[in-house]
Amino acid sequence: MLEHWWVIAGLAVATFSIRLSGYLVGARLPTDGGWARAFNALPGCLIAALLTVILIQGEWQEWGAAGIALSIAVVTRSLPATMIVGVLAVWILRNFV
Amino acid sequence: MIRNLSDQSQDFIAGVRDVTPLAFGVAIYGLAFGLLAAQAGMDGMQTGVMGAVVFAGSSQIVAVERIVAGAGAYAALIAGIALNLRIFLITASLRSEFKERPLWQMLLGVHLAGDENWALLHAKRAGGGKAGYWYLVGAGLCLMLVWLLTTVSGASFAQALPEPRALGLDFAFAAAFIAILRSLCRRASDVLPWGFSIAASATLVLLTPIEPSWALALGGALGAGVAGVWSHA
Repeated sequence: MLEHWWVIAGLAVATFSIRLSGYLVGARLPTDGGWARAFNALPGCLIAALLTVILIQGEWQEWGAAGIALSIAVVTRSLPATMIVGVLAVWILRNFV
Repeated sequence: MIRNLSDQSQDFIAGVRDVTPLAFGVAIYGLAFGLLAAQAGMDGMQTGVMGAVVFAGSSQIVAVERIVAGAGAYAALIAGIALNLRIFLITASLRSEFKERPLWQMLLGVHLAGDENWALLHAKRAGGGKAGYWYLVGAGLCLMLVWLLTTVSGASFAQALPEPRALGLDFAFAAAFIAILRSLCRRASDVLPWGFSIAASATLVLLTPIEPSWALALGGALGAGVAGVWSHA
């Protein structure tokens, strides 16, 4: 039990430090030119990298479902629709194909 | 919309409303994490405290999974921290939201910043919508509430729950990020830096023994760097 509290405390302190230092470093960088372009591009880049890592760890069912979800996202631009179709697609591909 | 509602309240409510579909995904992860926490011998109280003070779902899952695997507290901590490195880039990209705010608001916003509400904020803006600090906080508090309720219930009623993977629900976030990426794409040139991020993180994961969470952060930073250096991006 005590071990759990140490992990909780350590992870809380470390995570908050990461969050705070990200902001403090970001706030000290220039707000125009190359740095601004990099920060504007950061969300998309990070999400693209996150999806890449998730999908590499998946198999053909996940890749297929991702393709289907992407076409729904392109056509509808809807977050709930993409989530529902993506989950349904992966469930069908895993269980019935 | 109620007439006298201030801009801040409207922003806050919009955040809560827009995050609702993602909150369902978080609820599923919360129940799954609660199950795992119960296996690690954590009670409802420890699970709740962890959710409130760490508030980073994937790192909590990884750290507790390491405890269940018997890897020890130190290994659990390192794994959890490694997974959170990307949050450095998330709060860095929120610099204009936190600047010139009272200290408590900055600290609250920083603590509530996570993948889902941060990505939603940027997606909403890319679509031409208004979203600021209170949007982030509204969505973040909603996610915190759902996370606490579901993780504590998961830990307390572990036996009664189905396995999310069997229902395909583990794919909910991957699908959500696909939708968010779509709304972040304003013009064709936005996609070029993403290509670098995808290629870099894929190369690192497939060809080097590097941890996937490092590959993710490095890939994201590289793509952003390309956008910064290449002035047409």
